[in-house]
This record gives sequence, C-alpha cells and structure tokens, in this order.
Amino acid sequence: MAHEDYKEMLEAQALSALDAAEVRVLEAHLQSCAECRSQLSDWEDAAAGLAFAALEATPLEPSPQVRARILEAVRTDTTTGSRAIEAADGHRLQAANVVALKQTLRWSPAQTWGAIAAGLICAALVASLFVLWKQNREARQELARLSGQVRDAQEQLARQREAIEIVAARGTRMTELAGTKVMPGAHAMLAYDKKGRAILMAKGLPPPPAGKAYQLWFIAGGRPMPGKVFTTDASGAGTLNDQVPAEALSAAVFAITLEPKDGMPAPTGAIYLSSLT
Amino acid sequence: MQPKQAQPADVDLLHAVARGDELALGSLYDRYRVILFGLLMRILNSREEAEDVLQEVLLQVWRRAADFDEQRGRPFTWLVTLARSRAIDRLRLLGARRRLVDSAAQNTPEEASDAVKNTLHSEQREIVQRALAELPEEQRRILILAYFDGLTQSEIAATTGTPLGTVKTRMRSGMIKLRKLLGKEMNILG
Repeated sequence: MAHEDYKEMLEAQALSALDAAEVRVLEAHLQSCAECRSQLSDWEDAAAGLAFAALEATPLEPSPQVRARILEAVRTDTTTGSRAIEAADGHRLQAANVVALKQTLRWSPAQTWGAIAAGLICAALVASLFVLWKQNREARQELARLSGQVRDAQEQLARQREAIEIVAARGTRMTELAGTKVMPGAHAMLAYDKKGRAILMAKGLPPPPAGKAYQLWFIAGGRPMPGKVFTTDASGAGTLNDQVPAEALSAAVFAITLEPKDGMPAPTGAIYLSSLT
Repeated sequence: MQPKQAQPADVDLLHAVARGDELALGSLYDRYRVILFGLLMRILNSREEAEDVLQEVLLQVWRRAADFDEQRGRPFTWLVTLARSRAIDRLRLLGARRRLVDSAAQNTPEEASDAVKNTLHSEQREIVQRALAELPEEQRRILILAYFDGLTQSEIAATTGTPLGTVKTRMRSGMIKLRKLLGKEMNILG
C-alpha cells in the first residue's frame, strides 16, 4: 500500500473504527512514518472533542463516593505498593548494612562459612539472572523482527488477494501498458473491475530517484485524471491499488509518468508507459 | 471555559501522578470527572457501569501516567481516549443488547437551555454540538455510531445496510469537516 492509502485510514483509526487486520497493517506503517503519526495525533484531538457532545444540558456527576473509592484503590494498588516498598526497603537495607559492619567482629567461624556460602549463592543467582535477562532480550529482539516479517507478509498477502479478487471478478478488463521511448523495456498490466477497483502490476521500471515517484493517469475525453503514486523495487517491479474514476470506466487511456513523490494534480513529467501504442 | 494556561497544569499533574502523588490524581479527577463521566454515561447508559469504569480509568491513569508523552498528544486527548476505550471494551463485554437500547436513546439529543449556559463545560459542549449539527445527517450518524457505540466501519456498513465504501467516504468527510469546524476552537477543547 502507498503512503496515501495509509493516510486515508487515519481518521477511522482515531475513531477506532478500523477492522483488526487494517489496524495491524496501519500500525506497522506508523512505526516508520512520523508524518502519519503526527496526523493521527491531530485526528485523535478532533475525535476527543466529540466527548463534549455527550454532555447533558445539565451535566451528570458521578456519586461523591467514587472519588474516595479511587483514592482508596490507589493506596492499596499493588503497583504503588511495590513503589512504596522499594523505597522503604532501600532505607531498611542501608540500616542493615550499618548493623552488619558492626557485627562482623563478633562473627563465629560457622557464621563466616555461612556468609561465604550465602555470598556464593547470591553471586550464582546474579549470574543466572544476567543470563536470563540476556536471553529474554534476544528473544524479544527476535520476536520483534519476526513480527515485522509477519506484518510485511500479511500486507503482501492482502495486496495479492485483492489483486486476485479484481482479476477474477466478472467483467474485469485487462489493459496492457507499454514502455515509451523514455523507458522502452517497461511493461505493465492494469486490471479493473466494473466498480473501477484497479490493480496495476509494473515491471522493468527502475526505482524512481529520491523525491520522485511514478504516477498513474486516467485519460478520458482528452482530460488526464490523477491516479495514485507508486514506487518500484530493485528488481524494477511495483504494484498499485487504485480506483478508476467513473468517467474513465467505459473508455480511457492509461499512462504512467514520473512526478514529485506526493503526486501532481496534472501530469508534469515524462510519460514512461502508456496504453496507447 | 477553561483558561488556556490550564494545559501545562494538566501535564504537570500527570507528571506528579507518575511520581506517585495521590493529591495530583485527585486534582485530575476533580477537573475531568464531569466530562469523563458524561462520556461514559453516553456509551454505557448505566450509572453503575459508568462509575465502575471511571474508577478503572483513574486507576489506569495512576499506573500509566509515566507512559504519557506530551510530545505525542494532549493530556485531555489521552484521558478521553483512555476512558472511551475502556468503556467500549466494557460495552462489548456487556453485549449488543445494551448497545441497541443506547442507540435508541441517543437519537434524541437535548438542547442546552439558557438556564444552564454557565454550567461546567457548557461552552465546549455548545461548540461541538454546533459543529456536529453542521454535518450532513449521514456523516453525523456514522461518527456517532463509531465514537459512542464503538462500531467499526464494517459493523456500521452491516448495521445500516450501507456499502462499506460509502461508510468509509462518509466517515472521512465527516471527520475532515468536524476538524475544520473545531479547528479554531481546539485550544478551548482541553
């Protein structure tokens, strides 16, 4: 999916209205896209504003006991409890150290051996703790890497499923786009169903230079209508899901140009591929 | 209306909560109990459930205040999102029956009377309700089904018998228009 496709999911994500599979795909993208993260935060602000629409003309109040219950729950909360205990333990440990130093002079041999044994056990525990911590960290890194791979695979699978669905639908049209003089080795197939859901599969297109992307155009009645932008991988292959505008469904020419990476409202760059050959 | 300088105070309160300051949690509660409780009541339509979830939310704020990152969002949005998400979880737990009752009840929004214009949050309430009123009915309905009933786009399509593509377009247009309408007023909205 292209960046623009993810951008169109952000409003729904702010309302948590995406399906679980879409959320996974979007979250994978958000990890690497600061622009989308920042836009999502803006949409979340707007969505949070809706909370005010819930207020009654005379706002309702929770019962007065709720406040007391919350503060009581906080006091007995285990998370906080451990915070307090940690602090208290710190003081106690310091106190214990002071006492232990004073007592050293009066230790019996049995106590000394006991202390050495305890020291050794303690050291062994620390060492095994370290090993466990290291293993845990490695396992987490591996898990994160594998999750990334699974997400990529899921995304790819979803794209392929959609492509198959479009290609297999009744009434789907297939149009071939051939490379122009600018890129004679390029070739692409555009399949689109009756509703205009389209998938473009391109080959022989080198990855676009930095700041540039390929853009699909639908030309009907001599007027080019902008499609989405896409890029290609190192092997020169790229795919794109797009929507053919209604005006272009019955008769249209398709073309691909090189444009600035966010796409243009009208073509400005050279035509690399065209269905008119 | 809240003064503009209330926002840094919210951030400070959350930092204090993260350090284990119970008084700061109490202050946050006092400041947001009405808006959060109103939201929870709207979603859950039950005082008992709403109070229970409100308590859960504040306990979660207590435990997770250290996770709040002011670079990534406003305290108000963080609190409201947390509360809404808890309430939707509870709603799903309670089952669809209650949701249907809710939807029926929600179709009759009340107008603010002059007598209560000065009550807490009345200005924000008016801004948001005015913005919602400006949306086309089909867009407003979709935003409400998503936000207050916790329905996904697919669920909205199935419930209303509208094609999924149309639901997506309407949701998007509705949000774009809502943000535009709220844009100037966002600083007042928490």
